[in-house]
Amino acid sequence: MHPTSLMMTSSLIIIFVILTYPVLTTLSPRPQDPHWALSHVKTAVKLAFFVSLLPLFLFLNEGLETIITNWNWMNTATFDINISLKFDHYSVIFTPIALYVTWSILEFASWYMHADPDMNRFFKYLLIFLITMIILVTANNMFQLFIGWEGVGIMSFLLIGWWHGRADANTAALQAVLYNRIGDIGLIFFMAWVAMNLNSWEMQQMFAVAKDMDLTYPLLGLIIAATGKSAQFGLHPWLPSAMEGPTPVSALLHSSTMVVAGIFLLIRMSPLMENNQTALTTCLCLGALTTLFTATCALTQNDIKKIVAFSTSSQLGLMMVTIGLNQPQLAFLHICTHAFFKAMLFLCSGSIIHSLNDEQDIRKMGGMHRLTPFTSSCLTIGSLALTGTPFLAGFFSKDAIIEALNTSYLNAWALALTLLATSFTAVYSLRVIYFVSMGHPRFNPLSPINENNPTVINPIKRLAWGSIIAGLLITSNIIPIKTPIMSMPAVLKLAALTVTILGLLLALELATLTNKQFKPTPTLTPHHFSNMLGFFPTIIHRLTPKLNLFLGQAIASQTIDQTWLEKSGPKALTNLNLPMITTTSNIQQGLIKTYLSLFLLTLTLALLISY
Amino acid sequence: MASAYLTHQQKVLRLYKKSLRHLESWCIFRDKYRFYACMLRARFDENKNEKDMVKATMLLKAGEEEFWTNQHPQPYIFPDSPGGTSYERYECYKVPEWVLEHWHPSEKAMYPDYFAKREQWKKLRMQSWDKEVAQLEAETPPRRPQD
Repeated sequence: MHPTSLMMTSSLIIIFVILTYPVLTTLSPRPQDPHWALSHVKTAVKLAFFVSLLPLFLFLNEGLETIITNWNWMNTATFDINISLKFDHYSVIFTPIALYVTWSILEFASWYMHADPDMNRFFKYLLIFLITMIILVTANNMFQLFIGWEGVGIMSFLLIGWWHGRADANTAALQAVLYNRIGDIGLIFFMAWVAMNLNSWEMQQMFAVAKDMDLTYPLLGLIIAATGKSAQFGLHPWLPSAMEGPTPVSALLHSSTMVVAGIFLLIRMSPLMENNQTALTTCLCLGALTTLFTATCALTQNDIKKIVAFSTSSQLGLMMVTIGLNQPQLAFLHICTHAFFKAMLFLCSGSIIHSLNDEQDIRKMGGMHRLTPFTSSCLTIGSLALTGTPFLAGFFSKDAIIEALNTSYLNAWALALTLLATSFTAVYSLRVIYFVSMGHPRFNPLSPINENNPTVINPIKRLAWGSIIAGLLITSNIIPIKTPIMSMPAVLKLAALTVTILGLLLALELATLTNKQFKPTPTLTPHHFSNMLGFFPTIIHRLTPKLNLFLGQAIASQTIDQTWLEKSGPKALTNLNLPMITTTSNIQQGLIKTYLSLFLLTLTLALLISY
Repeated sequence: MASAYLTHQQKVLRLYKKSLRHLESWCIFRDKYRFYACMLRARFDENKNEKDMVKATMLLKAGEEEFWTNQHPQPYIFPDSPGGTSYERYECYKVPEWVLEHWHPSEKAMYPDYFAKREQWKKLRMQSWDKEVAQLEAETPPRRPQD
């Protein structure tokens, strides 16, 4: 075997071994070392990151991609299920990024969760999540992808409900599971269709055999799966509710890695989607709707974590728009750059929350720039990267997406909604910075504000470096599969920057108005629409259970009795026989004398005729 | 002595406090809040000497309706209060006292003083149990005939 490919495959197997070893050590009956979390788990992830750089550099240098089939699980004459790992462009780049972000988050979590008696278990859950995420990303067949898909869903449930004594946390965890389950229906439908019609779950065979087939139904199933996992409109409420979990969970799962699994699935299946215009248009419109709706909801939220959660949902909508433009590589680029600055935004929020004694409401923050200068600077850098400030990480992906949208001849409404959402991104980012970092403190002076801990500063610093240079690094080293459109009118080229600057100026104007004595409340109707999340959870979370419960009650108390008694049992017999009985008994009128005389007459006539 | 019914004064004061809290949720900056809070206080003070209870109740009703239309959909709730972000967060770590009985002897040996004192406390509790029950029964008011 060629030494380069041998190096690649061995380093990838080593990554799996390094990550699974700490989980296996927890199975031993010996009591765990209290510093196990920091000494074993964080070290394992750090080591795995450095090992994963070798396949990355091999890929960048030689374009080496590899598929490893490790174990034949079930092989029939026509259908194979194997454990096979695919290390192509997407997984080779995503794995180091996921490991880098996880390493930083684990280090931060050792500070954030240090007062938690079960910190070791917390780190174990995060590590199991990371393993299942890498299984999902490196899967070469749908079965393995499904294992990873369900695994990340389960770990999300366990981690959101970490403080399970809290009723809201349990509700949020259940919400996440239910909404993801609805998405799983789409994925299972896709897998069933593919197993029946394309006769394999291996991706290479799927793409080869499906060349001229009509794939609308399975692709719609995939889109439903992505809607559930990546919180697109319709199945999105679980993402803001998932903020009930601790901040490291929100940073890892619900911003960088798990929620992009749906988009990643669509990127993997992009060879199937590129010829199906229905699927592409659905993605485009769904993504545009999602990005605008969630950006609108983020405008008036007051919980800092919810603002960042809606921001994540909005960026996921943007990734969906990119898939709809048939640009999976651009969507992947946005996944990579988004992971850095979104995780950093969450870590900065977590640092501020802990410093202010678990205060999450931005109405009670303020002046953090003088009190925690490093954290608020990184918050600003993250927000600038999010809004697509030129030459930071987000610029390379976001600007490219909007340019592609501008120069395509597709849906103009999608374009308008996306541009509006881009300006809203600038508005709510400025709102966060204005209320958190600027002005004077609005909280109790007795707060444990302390930035001197290296376990907090180093992760944020690493992610800040990532937010600044990741975009440049990735775009400089990756050869694009589709040529981007190089020349366009200046208006189109500068559209994203213009709407962002307009949004920023508008937000600054509104922020200065907030401080003046005009009126205490804003115009209530649009504010309520945005604040109550478009009334979507209010309606759906009450209507659907109510309808189901009424249906259940009707079936249990009426339908069964009605079916067995009135439609098929005793009453049915009665209802069938009674008309016949009444008709028959009503025929005779009770005229006995007439009947008797007629009888005697006919008897006499019969006797006379016969004799 | 509290009963099931609120007095008029209690209702007015509750309305005043929740209006102030919701006003604080709307007016984020303290100087703006102080201005509108003083205006609100002036509005309440205008009618504070009303002697006609019917008119006072109508004013209270109008005030409650105005509160309902102008309330904040996400009022500021302190983190440890019901509905707050940290409320009940540590319930899952709270265990009842009798769990200490079930500790392994090697674990109990780590805190010999505490468990020794605990044994004494349990003995005292057994001795005074009857006296405590008798005292509680003496203090409990008799049940109403209609229960």
